[in-house]
Amino acid sequence: MFKWFGLVNYAPHTKVAEFATHLKDGRLVGSRCAACGAHTFPPRADCDACMSPDFTLVEVSGRGVVHTYTTISAAPSGFEQLAPYRLGLVDLEDGGRALACFGDTLADADVAIGMPVQVVPRLAEEREAITVYYTLERPGTPWPRTPLDG
Amino acid sequence: MNLGLTDRVALVTGGRTGIGAAIAGGLAAEGCHVAIVDRTIDEEARATARLIETHGRRCHLMETDVRDFAAAETRVRETVATLGRLDILVCNAGITADAPIWKLSEAQWDTVIDVNLKGYFNYNRAAAAVFKDQRHGKIVNVASINGLRGKHAQTNYSASKGGIIALSKALAREVGKFGVNVNVIAPGMVLTTMAEQLPPEFLEQAMDETVLGRLASPEDCANAVAFLCSDRARHITGEILRVDGGQYI
Amino acid sequence: MVASTSSGRRVGVVGVGHTPFGRRSDATVQELAFEAFRDAVTDAGITRDVIDATVVGSVPEYHKQRSLAGVIQEYLGLAPRPTWLTEAACASGSAAIRTAWLAIKAGIHDIVAVIGCQKMTELDTAEILALMGRVGEVQWESGFGTTFPGYYAMFARRHMHEFGTTRQQLVEVAVKNHHYGSLNPMALFRKEITEEKAAASEAVADPFRVYDCCANADGAACVILASEERAREIAAVPVWLAGMGCASASMSVLRRPHLTGLPSAERAAAEAYAMAGVTAQDIRVADVHDCFTIAEIMAYEDLGFCPRGEGGRFIEERRSYVGGTVPVNVDGGLKAKGHPIGATGVSMTYDIVKQLRGEAGERQVPDADVGLTHNVGGIGQYCFVQVLTRE
Repeated sequence: MFKWFGLVNYAPHTKVAEFATHLKDGRLVGSRCAACGAHTFPPRADCDACMSPDFTLVEVSGRGVVHTYTTISAAPSGFEQLAPYRLGLVDLEDGGRALACFGDTLADADVAIGMPVQVVPRLAEEREAITVYYTLERPGTPWPRTPLDG
Repeated sequence: MNLGLTDRVALVTGGRTGIGAAIAGGLAAEGCHVAIVDRTIDEEARATARLIETHGRRCHLMETDVRDFAAAETRVRETVATLGRLDILVCNAGITADAPIWKLSEAQWDTVIDVNLKGYFNYNRAAAAVFKDQRHGKIVNVASINGLRGKHAQTNYSASKGGIIALSKALAREVGKFGVNVNVIAPGMVLTTMAEQLPPEFLEQAMDETVLGRLASPEDCANAVAFLCSDRARHITGEILRVDGGQYI
Repeated sequence: MVASTSSGRRVGVVGVGHTPFGRRSDATVQELAFEAFRDAVTDAGITRDVIDATVVGSVPEYHKQRSLAGVIQEYLGLAPRPTWLTEAACASGSAAIRTAWLAIKAGIHDIVAVIGCQKMTELDTAEILALMGRVGEVQWESGFGTTFPGYYAMFARRHMHEFGTTRQQLVEVAVKNHHYGSLNPMALFRKEITEEKAAASEAVADPFRVYDCCANADGAACVILASEERAREIAAVPVWLAGMGCASASMSVLRRPHLTGLPSAERAAAEAYAMAGVTAQDIRVADVHDCFTIAEIMAYEDLGFCPRGEGGRFIEERRSYVGGTVPVNVDGGLKAKGHPIGATGVSMTYDIVKQLRGEAGERQVPDADVGLTHNVGGIGQYCFVQVLTRE
């Protein structure tokens, strides 16, 4: 359910809600237009190229490069306990961009534009309600994936 | 029903004899390789291992006191290292030390709580860490109907078994999102070698309480455990399955 | 894009009004609107009954009062004339001006009052913090803790990486605007600041500190627009809306082609210059949207005051001071005036009109005959650029 997505969620209902279910299973997915084949990340239900409403969700690698970043000190609602935290905007190898916080594998590292990172699916372990999101980690960081028949 | 347990790996505490041995053997019959933790690894334990091996499954025996917190983590790691993986934990190791409360010593209280409740905490904790990261796992904690009801001369035992039930429910809430199921079986009186040593009137009283007019065999418990450990039970979690012939409805 | 034959009536500004910006715990938003409106009507030398319609620019989510345009219309005594609200985030004021301009150009109305107004202080801290987190695209970005300064901070980081823009240059924008703000009686902040003070202020979103960021404020501004014939009757010195540019860009930073400038601003500026028949070099005074220091540096580039990447040098060489290539934000900008978001676009227009009329007092730019306003909504999803001329 898309309401699971994000450390705070303001968009619980969407035509691409399955994105969150895949993320919970450890898979990052983009959309592929069924009519013209255009790939988009993050996924969208309505093709930007040809306007078709028909799409499938396709796994993407999550490998990318830092385009820019900042450290948020003055945090918005829901993020007060996390401040200061570093946000990165990443150009993805498979196309599109992702925006997320840097994670534990980069906690003590300097961040630089052009640095390779891996977008890693995360399931919040200590919240009772299901929360899925992703973090920016060192390339090669492994993460749990639900077996496809599980 | 095909339980789909072929090549899964289970760890059973208190699997040397009685209910635990039946559970270990039952899982092996369904295709599991089984690791056993018990306080004593003796000829009885080795007989249980041989039974498992007759099913063409591997068995790894580990002599450990379940009260040892650090050892639980070590033994879980050892199981994964030796048998290749871990999919199932069944906690069964338990003791009794009965007396009306005014005659119950501090040591009798402490030991029963430590073995029965702390022991389950130790192994549940160690296995949950593994199951969480691999996004699947099954935990079955053997409790007792005496954890659902109060039993004369068993303030300690009832407390430990009631505690196991609450621990299992809380844990089910924590690990559900990781694809891990946690359930309890609550046997009534089970005909084990130990039970057969009891005075006949105890057994008769228990039989009278059942509606089926019989007492459980260890295999009755093993069957319930095998089902709960299987993918057929994937949507069952936080549940208490009485295996008591209707002794406590 | 506007049809190439943008023919027909010119539209002029015949009256302007402005309230002090700041914490206005003394007034409701409609009372602030009335202050600005009264000033504008007096400035124009008209009475209320010649006004045909009112357009209100404001961002509703900051007010307890819903349906703002209705309440303002009533308080101003202008019912039953048509009125409605326009919203384009921090460019709501310019959106309101554009709407009025469209109505007059189309010949539907002759004289329209445009009121940009905002109270930012009616919400408590928790409500503001909640709104703060929803500035960007909420489906894919807000869930990760983005904030308004955070977005511009990411633009700044990229600009620094690509062009070598420095923290020092960012600070210099703040210093300039506070200098001019100290000369503006309408500004929230009336004191100059030093580079040291700016550099030492609390971190907000790296590389920004408090002094890199504009402050919320309450306030209102009003302009009275008129068709060419009416403008000549009413105003001694009509100021013309000679070039009106407007463009949008993706809301989501995930889909911007680049982050070192605002594509909407480049496009809106090109349109405004073309319509007015001028180039960047003809602009004598400009008010740009300095919500953050980097925003002003990017504006120099987007507006063509200097080539892409040289905005840092532009401020460093004092080319945006009075006496420089083009004085920018000599009313203090958002930085020193404060930013009542619905009012800002109209406030910029007020200031440029005053400059073009020669009524800017000690902040007067000599021989200012062509001015520009650049008003951005949010993180650049909207931009409105106006070129104003005096005959």
